[in-house]
Amino acid sequence: MNWDGLDLAILGPACLAGLLVLATHVPLGQQVLSRGIIFIDLALAQVAAMGVIGAQYFGVDEQGYGVQIAAALAALAGAALLTFTERHWPDYQEPLIGTLFVLAATGGLLLLANNPHGGEHLKDLLVGQILWVSYSQLIPGALLSAVLLGLMWRHHGRLSGLWFYGVFALAITASVQLVGVYLVFASLIVPALATVGMHGRRRLLVAYSIGALGYALGLALSAVLDLPSGAMIVWTLAGCALIGRLVIASISPAASPIER
Amino acid sequence: MKALIWAALLLGSAWSIPAPALNVFACEPEWGALTRELAGDAVTLDVATSALQDVHQIEAKPSLIAKMRRADLVVCSGAELEAGWLPQLIRQSGNSKVASGPGSFMATDQVVTLDKPSELDRAAGDVHPQGNPHVQLDPYRVLAIAKALAARLAQLDPGNAAVYTQRLADFSTRWQAAIPNWEARAAPLKGRKVVVHHASWVYLLTWLGVEQIGTLEPKPGVPPTSGHLAGLIEITKAQSALAILSAAYQDPKAGEWLAERTGVPALVLPFTVGGDDQAKDLFGLYDATLDRLLGALK
Repeated sequence: MNWDGLDLAILGPACLAGLLVLATHVPLGQQVLSRGIIFIDLALAQVAAMGVIGAQYFGVDEQGYGVQIAAALAALAGAALLTFTERHWPDYQEPLIGTLFVLAATGGLLLLANNPHGGEHLKDLLVGQILWVSYSQLIPGALLSAVLLGLMWRHHGRLSGLWFYGVFALAITASVQLVGVYLVFASLIVPALATVGMHGRRRLLVAYSIGALGYALGLALSAVLDLPSGAMIVWTLAGCALIGRLVIASISPAASPIER
Repeated sequence: MKALIWAALLLGSAWSIPAPALNVFACEPEWGALTRELAGDAVTLDVATSALQDVHQIEAKPSLIAKMRRADLVVCSGAELEAGWLPQLIRQSGNSKVASGPGSFMATDQVVTLDKPSELDRAAGDVHPQGNPHVQLDPYRVLAIAKALAARLAQLDPGNAAVYTQRLADFSTRWQAAIPNWEARAAPLKGRKVVVHHASWVYLLTWLGVEQIGTLEPKPGVPPTSGHLAGLIEITKAQSALAILSAAYQDPKAGEWLAERTGVPALVLPFTVGGDDQAKDLFGLYDATLDRLLGALK
């Protein structure tokens, strides 16, 4: 047991980063789940990372906004590609996303064969560490989330085609760098999965609660048990989702996915 | 959230307990061990990493930030070895005492480093512009670092200055007595050749007069390619290498692969304090390292 880490000054920025990621990822996750393309986040995050490697080849400064713009542009290009494939081969969208993921991931390895510094940067981009987040880093993320949420709200939560992939690409590019790819995947899929069968505002509310509880509990446990925070949160998210699912099933059996 | 606030309050009340004079945060086990030698129980010591971790990169845990917050002195290798996490950790802790100045002690700043690149070229791999940071396996450099560290401890904690001076004298005597013993034992290693995993042995090999004829990583931090490995098999066989060295924290697969194809034994050396059962302190680390190397001669 270790009570030292249980300090708001240490866990506060990380907790806020988690809530920020949840804000956009919970509604997006419900769409990802209903479209059946759950690996899209991994694929687009890898494509964004490829964009950064490409930018380094053209001499863009490693720190600063140049890299962010390159990552966002690459992710948007990936989004456009996925919109195109969805239109032409809708039945094969999931395998195509999987193929895009491995191509982007291994393409990065090939390009970086002689550049370990680029490798470090790539790793930073994919394995953001939630505890290293500072309040000032959260400001651009908060602005982006507000814009993306506004867009989703204008489209009544149902984005189609390019709008969906575009919003998704930007949300992922920002969140992966804040909290890392594992937490992004968990924030997207787990709350959405726990609330399958529910609808509308009620579903959003329950999914947000599960997500927020998972992050808060995970951060607290990682402090007390002295374990890496990101990995711990993934497990508490899953635990909260499981308990949430059981509670939902006991309150209203009608929400069970089997009877849908 | 509520639980966090409660815990913060609880923690606040615990702060009123009088603390020992100095809180030392050591990045690596070897500097933790050296601090113990020089300060004994006069300081509280937190060691951030273990011998089985790659110190180039570590996972973020809340306890690390908590330890950094209460640190009065940070003792690390420096030369960008911890560049991937130490700056973030210090920034996150908000502890300006250890960001620079007397609260920040970098071992590589106290000695002349090897492998300093004459010009910076990122194509040369994961090289450190301030030279190779893995200085803990040269006993002369360790002695110089010990003297500088004792002086720093005395500067930050004048009340215990006598303790640090006395313990430094004691450590120096034992260390200087040990060096000729080690050198006598290691004499048969002189002139022998080794292949290494990562360029982390240059200080040890320079001290012992052992020649490095190849690295498993073609450039520091870059994984091996098949062409590079083929060339390495040639060199290892042709120059009848003594051993293939890797550190306790590294994946032994690459070394074993080469050993299988060349008949040259793959050795896992402790690399730092805690790297194996024998390397319990700095003296044990050197004893264990020499035992392993001499074992390959038979």
